[in-house]
Amino acid sequence: MPTKSSPVLPIAHVVLRILIVMNWLYGAAIAILLVALPTRKWIMSALSLSPSPEADRLILGMRAIAVIGIATVPLHYAIFKRLLAIVETVRGGDPFVATNAQRLKIIAWTLLALQLLSLVVAAIARTVSTPEHPLDLDAGFSISGWLAVLLTFLLARVFAEGTYMREDLEGVV
Amino acid sequence: MAIAVKLDDLLHDRRMTLTDLADRIGITLANLSILKTGKARAIRFSTLDAICEALACQPGDILRFEPEQADCEQN
Repeated sequence: MPTKSSPVLPIAHVVLRILIVMNWLYGAAIAILLVALPTRKWIMSALSLSPSPEADRLILGMRAIAVIGIATVPLHYAIFKRLLAIVETVRGGDPFVATNAQRLKIIAWTLLALQLLSLVVAAIARTVSTPEHPLDLDAGFSISGWLAVLLTFLLARVFAEGTYMREDLEGVV
Repeated sequence: MAIAVKLDDLLHDRRMTLTDLADRIGITLANLSILKTGKARAIRFSTLDAICEALACQPGDILRFEPEQADCEQN
């Protein structure tokens, strides 16, 4: 099947490989921060907190958010790995295969899970924030995020239909 | 499938090979072979038109409806 050479695919391949590595580094960094480094005292002094129930709640909330952050690492990996596999099939000139439709469906569900986790993170941040120490995080409801979920589900359906049509066309002489 | 492709008989009558036909109508030998062996799922009107023209025949000479054994027993 003739395909026009485009720089998009090699770029996507390299970017996804970099993102996979960065994702693991991000996970490792959070794990180190969570487990190894900060004691309660260290966090209190770093954030200039005075001992109080609110400060304890803030630290607990931050730890919970860090745990969620680690939980997102395998989810991101699941997305990048499948995207990479899809890019490879496009480079091979045969993207309309049933496995790609399945991959996109899994990506869509994973994106949905990430959006839900983002809502949980925002709720935790809101709960533990105090006027003195507001926890401002880039989390919560995102129209673009939910749109991405919807688009990916649609794309999965498009690929499933495309696969069916291509299989049908293969037998036409 | 109950639709049989009678390309072999026609080619034999016309003293023509599958390769000759493929060259004349501009369809790959592989695709024509799929059609001849009855493995094709569908045939384009343009292909049928080209074959009919090359072999000077009617579509009915190429395609035949031959009910399968199981269908016959049911009826």
